[in-house]
Parts: sequence; C-alpha cells; structure tokens
Amino acid sequence: MNNSFALRRRNDLIMAAVLTAAAACMPFLVKDVYVQNIMVLTLMYAALSQSWNILSGYCGQISLGHALYFGLGAYTTALLFTKFGVVPWVGMIAGGLISAMIALALGYPTFRLGGHYFVIATIVIAEIGLLLFHNWDWAGAALGIDIPVRGDSWLKFQFTRSKLPYFYFALAFCVVAWLITWWLEDSKWGYWWRAVKDNPEAAQSLGVVVFNSKMGAAAVSAFLTAIGGAFYAMFVSYIDPDSVMSFQFSLLMALPAVLGGIGTLWGPVLGAAILIPLTEVTRSFIGGSGRGVDLILYGALIVAISLARPEGLVGLFSRRKKETAR
Amino acid sequence: MTVSRRTVLLGGVASAALLPSVIKAQAQTPTEVVIGVIYPLSGASAQIGVDAQRAFETAADIINKNYDFALPLAKGEGLSGLGGAKVRLVFADHQADPQKGRAEAERLITQEKVCAIVGTYQSAVAVTVSQICERYQIPFLSADNSSPSLHRRGLKFYFRAAPHDEMFSTAMFDFFDAQKKKGQKIETLALFHEDTIFGTDSANAQIKLAADRGYKIVSDIKYRANSPSLTAEVQQLKAANADVLMPSSYTTDAILLVKTMAELGYKPKNIMAQDAGFSEKATYDAVGDKVEGVISRGSFSLDLAAKRPMVGTVNDLFKAKSGKDFNDYSSRQFMGLIVMADAINRAKSTDGEKIRQALVATDMKGEDTIMPWKRVKFDEMGQNNDADPVLLQYTGGKFVTISPPQAAVAEAIWPMTK
Amino acid sequence: MTTQTIVQSLASGLLMGLLYGLIAVGLALIFGLMDVTNFAHGEFLMLAMYVTFFLFAFFAIDPLLAMPLVAAALFAFGAVIYLLVVRFAMRAKTNVGMVQIFATFGLAILLRGLAQFFFTPDYRSIPTSWLGGKTVSVFGVFLPVPQLVGALVAVAAFGALYFFIKKTDFGRALEATREDAGAVALVGIDKNRVFALGWGLGSALVGLAGAIMASFFYIYPDVGASFALIAYVTVALGGFGSVFGAFAGGIIVGLVEASTALILPPSLKSVGIYAVYLLVVFIRPRGLFGSI
Repeated sequence: MNNSFALRRRNDLIMAAVLTAAAACMPFLVKDVYVQNIMVLTLMYAALSQSWNILSGYCGQISLGHALYFGLGAYTTALLFTKFGVVPWVGMIAGGLISAMIALALGYPTFRLGGHYFVIATIVIAEIGLLLFHNWDWAGAALGIDIPVRGDSWLKFQFTRSKLPYFYFALAFCVVAWLITWWLEDSKWGYWWRAVKDNPEAAQSLGVVVFNSKMGAAAVSAFLTAIGGAFYAMFVSYIDPDSVMSFQFSLLMALPAVLGGIGTLWGPVLGAAILIPLTEVTRSFIGGSGRGVDLILYGALIVAISLARPEGLVGLFSRRKKETAR
Repeated sequence: MTVSRRTVLLGGVASAALLPSVIKAQAQTPTEVVIGVIYPLSGASAQIGVDAQRAFETAADIINKNYDFALPLAKGEGLSGLGGAKVRLVFADHQADPQKGRAEAERLITQEKVCAIVGTYQSAVAVTVSQICERYQIPFLSADNSSPSLHRRGLKFYFRAAPHDEMFSTAMFDFFDAQKKKGQKIETLALFHEDTIFGTDSANAQIKLAADRGYKIVSDIKYRANSPSLTAEVQQLKAANADVLMPSSYTTDAILLVKTMAELGYKPKNIMAQDAGFSEKATYDAVGDKVEGVISRGSFSLDLAAKRPMVGTVNDLFKAKSGKDFNDYSSRQFMGLIVMADAINRAKSTDGEKIRQALVATDMKGEDTIMPWKRVKFDEMGQNNDADPVLLQYTGGKFVTISPPQAAVAEAIWPMTK
Repeated sequence: MTTQTIVQSLASGLLMGLLYGLIAVGLALIFGLMDVTNFAHGEFLMLAMYVTFFLFAFFAIDPLLAMPLVAAALFAFGAVIYLLVVRFAMRAKTNVGMVQIFATFGLAILLRGLAQFFFTPDYRSIPTSWLGGKTVSVFGVFLPVPQLVGALVAVAAFGALYFFIKKTDFGRALEATREDAGAVALVGIDKNRVFALGWGLGSALVGLAGAIMASFFYIYPDVGASFALIAYVTVALGGFGSVFGAFAGGIIVGLVEASTALILPPSLKSVGIYAVYLLVVFIRPRGLFGSI
C-alpha cells in the first residue's frame, strides 16, 4: 500500500504539472476578457476552496466562517494601500499573518467544540467580524474602500484592462495552495488526521499533538484564504463588508470542495472548474430575465450533484476514491 | 489514471471553451444602438430591478416608435442623428454584488459592444461599474444612485442627471426652515437609517445639515438592514420623541418600521423620509393607513401631469407595462435612458469619447423632461446640479407635491398628525 | 434609560424570543431525530408565509384560521422534501454532514428562485387581519397582539410536542429511531417513514410560525434569510437534540437581542446574540441542554 500511495502521489504531481502548463497556455487561446474573467474567478475559487479544504476536509473541522479571513486579507491590503501607500504585496503578507494569528487565537477555544457547535461558532464569529467592519468608520464602514486605479503597474498590482497578470497570479496562488495540500497529505500531520478520522480513540491518545496540528492547519488555511482576499481587493478594486465578509461568501468557498470531493486533493479544483463557469454563465445569459431562472438552475444543480454524487465528483474515478478513503 | 486526467482536463477546457460560441450569437447591425442596463434582477432587491426593466423598456419604446410629445427623441422613429438607428437594450443582473456588476459591465462592453451603460440601484455596484466604464472609456449614467461620493472620484465618464443625497437632504432642511418661519416648532430630529451605503450617506448629509442650520439630533439610530425585528430601535425613537423622524430605509425595513411603531403605540409628530422604501407602492399597500401625512423626498411628481400633459401620457405607457405608476426610482431610470440616448443622438456616433463630449454639452430644458427639474446640465464632475428634488406628502391615499414652491400643488399639512 | 424602557424592551424581547423558539423548534426536532441541519429552514418559513398570504388573498382566510391549513401544507412539503432530497443526501459514506448541508443549501437557492419565478419578487403583506396592527397596553407596556398570539401558540406547540414525544407511540418511535436506526428496523419500524413524518412535523411547526408572522411581517422570496441564522444559533444555544433547549434558546436570544440594543448601537444588536452563544458553548460545549 505504501508503494501505491507513493505512486499515486507522483502521478498527482505529474498531472498537476500538465494541468498547470495547459492552464498557463489558455489566455493565448482565449482572448475574450469576459471568459478570462471567469477563468480568473475559477482559479481564485479553486485556491480558496483548496485552502478551506485543508482545515475542513483533511482536518475535519468544518468551517463556514472563512469569509472572516478572506475579508481580513482584503481589508488589510486595501487599508494599507489607500491609507498608507503600502504596496499590495506587503499588504497581502500582512493580511495573511493577521488572519493566521486570529485563526490561532480562535482555534484555541473553538476546537474543543464538536460537530455542529463548531460550525455555528465559525458562522457567528465571521458575522461578528462583518458587523464590526460595517460599523467601523475609519475602515470605510458601509461605504467600503474604493481603490483608485491609475495605469498599469506590477508594483501596485493594478491593470486597467488586461486580465493576464491577474490570471497568472491566480494560477500561481492555485498551484501553491495545491502543492501545500499535496505536501500535507504525506506529512506527519496528514497521517495524524487520517488516523483520527479512521479511529476516534486514536485521537485521544494523540491528544495534544493532534490539537496542535489542527491549530497549524487553521493558521495555514487562514493565511492562504487571506491571500485570496488580498487578491480579490486588487482585482475588483473595490471592497465593502457585504461583498467580502458575508456568510454567503463562506459557503461559496466551501462549495467547490464539497461538490468536487471534500478532503481530496483534486476535489476543490474540479468543483471550481464546473461550478464557477456555470454560475457566471447562468447569471449572464439567463439572469437578465429577472425571473430567478438562474437561481433555479444553480440551486437544482447543487441539489442534483449532492444527491447523485454524495462523495463528490472526484468519486467518478472509482480507483482514486478508494485510495483517498483509506 | 488516464481516465481521470482526461476528464479533469476536459472539465476545465470545456467550461472555458464553451463560452465564446454562446456569446457570439448576437451580431451587430449598423441600424441599432446597443445600451447596457445593469440592475439587480435576482436576490433581495430583484423587485427594483424588474420594475426598472419596465421603465427602460418604456423609454426605449418611446425612442424607437413615433410619439407626439415634447420629450426628446419621442417624435420620429429611432435616433435621427444616426439615420434612425433603433435603441436596443441589453439587461444584465448584478445581484447587488460589486464584483458581479464589474464583470457584467465588462461583458456588456467587450461582447455586447454597448456604447453606454445605465445603472445600477445599489451605490456599491455603481462604484465598480463606473470604474470599468472609465477604463474602457464608455459613458456611464448613474440613473438612480444617490450616494454623493460617486461623482467625487474624478471620473471622466461618470454622469448623474438626478439629485444626490446632499441635494435631497438640503431640500428637506429648506422645508424645515420655511416651516419654522411660519411659526412651527421644529427643534429636534431623530435619524433612523440602515447600515449600507444608502443609509450611511444619507445620515452623514443630514447630520452635517442639522449642525449647520441649528437643529438638534436627539436620536441617531443606525440599524441592520433586513432585521427580523425593529422593536428595540423603535423604542429608542419613541423615547426620544423628536419633532421630526427622518428614516432612510428600504422597503422591507420601512414596512416593519411603520408596523412596529404602531404596535408600540408611537405616533411620530412628523415623518420626513429619504425616499427608498417610502416611495414604494408596496409600503403603502401594506401600511399606508398608518402613515397618513408622511413626507418623502423624491425626484418625481405625478402632479406635474396637470402642467405638463406628457408626464401623464408617459406614465400611462409605463403603467401599461408594469401595472404601477412611476415612482421616484422608475422615473429616474426612465429619464436616465432618455438623457443618454439624447447624447448619443447628438454625438451622431457610438464612440465612447464622442458620446462623453455630447453628455458634457447636454443642456436639456426642464420642460422637456418628465421631472420637476430646472434643466439637465452636468458640472465638471458629471453631476446635474439643477435637478431640483421635490417633497411629496402622502395624503388621502396618494402623493401630493408640497415643495419647492414652484412645483407645489398643495400646502403641507404640518404637523402631520392632529 | 427609564424603567419603562427596560421593561418594554424585555417584554418585546420575550415575545420575539418565543417566536424565534417556534421557528427554531422544527429545526431542533429534525436535527435531534437524524443529525441533519436543514439549511433551507428559512425558505420553509418563507413558503409558509406565502401560503398564508395566498390563502388570504384568494380565499380571504384570516391568517389565524389559516394556521392549521398552513401547518398541514408544510407538513406535506417537509415529508416530500425528505423523501425526494434528504433521504438521498444521507447515503453519503463520508462527510454526511457536509453533503446534507449543501444539499439543503442548494434547495434553499432553488426555493428562492422558484418563489421569485412564480410569486414575483414583489413585497407582499397582509394589510388587515384579525390580529394585525392591534396592540394591548399593560401599565404603559405595549404588547402587539400578533406577537402575543404567536407567543401563546409557541408555548402551546412546545407543550404539545413534549407530550407527543414522551407519551405517544409514534413519539417513542421517533426517539428510538434517533437512538439506533438499525435496531428499530429489526422491530419492524420503517426508518424512512419515521424520518419523513419527523420532517413533516418539523416543517409543520415552522408553518405555524409562518402563519403568525404573515400577519405582521412583509413577505418576499428572500425573507427567510434573516431568520435562518437566528434559528441555527437558537438551536445550538439550547443544545442540539433538545426540543426544550430550542424553547429556552429562543427566549434567551430574544432577551439578549433586546438588551444588547439598549447598550450597543442597534446595528450591532446581533453581536450580543453571537457573543452569548460563544460564551455558552465555551463553558458548556453541548449547549445549555444538549445531549449530542
């Protein structure tokens, strides 16, 4: 089994390299900015969902409050940039570190909670964050932060029309999130998490180390999510509390992983590649009717996938499924 | 392994490759001018978007068909400046999300080849849509956003024909001053505003004006939009019992506010509302009997039909489509498209920069609009400062214009409750 | 801040809290039975309000009279949703929790879309009803009649539910199925039938809440969203698996919300609810009365 595991991991890496190379060529084939925009969003959600998957999928701590970290990343970057002229690259790292620290601080009391109590706790903590930002005048409160865009600049990470820089950043972000997950699968932490899932009694004996590894997972997951938030702030160049910290957003981050296959390496990527283009296209081409048909299709699709493939779409490849279940 | 790799690849490629074929469906004919319209067509404010759709369709209908009244472009079919080209509208749904609004604006510009965009209801979405328009040098007309910060961002392609919150609030305080001169007692105000951009901007303007003109704000309540209950908020209003209650609320909260006030036995001495929920038919269908005498600011008055018959005619056309009379929003949306189409007509081109120049040169007489405005003329920031707001009082089941004097058809009933 | 204000706040908070409890109890029942959180619970409430509205608009049936009809309609709806959707979502071998969360989340979006499609996004409300707009005043404290009746219905519903679970055969079957679904199959109880009835019952309870609320609240496709989160917090605060917990949780949430608004700006009043929830579960990780 050890051998087949190693083989699978090598194959995964090769596949990732092929996919990355293929994705990197996409902008040369597709010039349309609307489609490029969808590709950027798809990569962003794949990376965000991958980050979420580390804590919620592998570690089993289901968070529906990741919008908090996303929002912190977006706000740190935007505030540092607009108030102090700090370039977004620094803001991005700062936002990531702040989020990671908050995740550690919150992890300490919340990891003791079981199942749904933990889920609800993550939701309400993110909601508190949302309400505080809504009432924090210095940070723009409800008015949000409008990031002025003046010309193209890599230093300021601003591009008036071209989507390519954003595309390649999102691709790199996605690859990094994937690689971290890939690396974690084979790490000490990865083994502990699998052991805990298979055998709750093992969790008791591993007690402290597992708790620490969960804290580590929370910090990594929060850091990456905040990077996504920072990217979003620069990509959209406007943020307000509702668009970066709402509960809806926490669900959207989790959705690709759930549909693709929670706790799997490829689930988030696969889920995002199907879900995001579908959301965008249904809204753009059916949403104009004003009859809610886009919502009907979107909702029905989620229900249909959940029912037809409860283990996620990755489960379509039966061999892989058996391996990950182990 | 091979199976999985292929399938994953296909998933990614197919989803991206599918799109261009979907998109190229609509070819452009030289005989039409395409204008993008971005509104919330699903989600919590879908009702506004759907009504807006009817208003824009009415405007396009008037432009494209031959009607005999003084509105620009009504006479004759299509845009004469472009050889009778017809206006075609492309609607997009932003679901109240600034990111989606931005993506839709970009799609309309690059794929639908729109030469102008009108929108957006939510001010947060107007921020991103106008940014994109600026980047692509496509004029954006903000039909019904009232946030004053929008036109102060140094954008060249941003235009707003309608008043913003500071102008609206100034009209309210002008009215208070006039009432005070007549010997009425107005000293204390209570603000009640929701926590999104609309409520925040409105309250900021009102706080500033109150300080400038010597009114005391005895209660400033910011509440969470779409709260399940407003009981606690209303109690504070009741305790403050100000001379005037000034709500800035959308429809849902407006209905709940009025119901809760009645339930807690609070009858405000006067209500001066910042439009929104207080100009929606749904609010008055629900609680109209409880707010007899409420005053709301607005930018439209159906009373104008007496002086300017075409206002009634246009309203009838809209009503045939939507089943509703024009309100503050639908009238501004309607007028927004007319102003934009008029500029395109004068530009004799669908080039963004030429349309922008035509918009800058706009000088439309008030009588040529359906609004009580002096005229439409944009300042260097793209704001029309001659869009005079009106104050409307709800009496006997309908709105009556009570201010400014040149538009008023009746004296204000003040205080509203006897 | 006068005594009057405080008493009024607490009275209003209590009434609202009982209503929150009534909305949440269906969720608690379903959860207790089969460990499933229905993320479309708010949309069930929305449907109940629409049913009440249309009964009023087309047949002039007062919301108060409509209550049993709405409850019956929602009972059928809940049972059908279980049989068509939830039953299948529970087949997942791993991460059942996540799958059912998203199946019901998808259902929520679907129901909102359908509501917009069939009912239009217009804001509706019932302008005049037997209860609507009436209010009684006790020593200067105002108690709105619809909420007052809602509170009475909530108390009655909790009483009936308690009796039902503890004293009837079916109630015991529910409890037994919850304890061990495999074992009850051996004694000849059809698990799916019990679960479907459980979903029906849980939905009927939210139907009662919807009928009451329709007489004083506005109705539109997204109306459930504001109540859903409060309902989840209420259930978790009381403790998953405890019907009585939802009752107590509702009252606490109502009171905390009202008193927070006395201290903090009202736009932050939900923060009080959330803070109390966190405080409670940090001290008692299974909520106030939770068994799971």
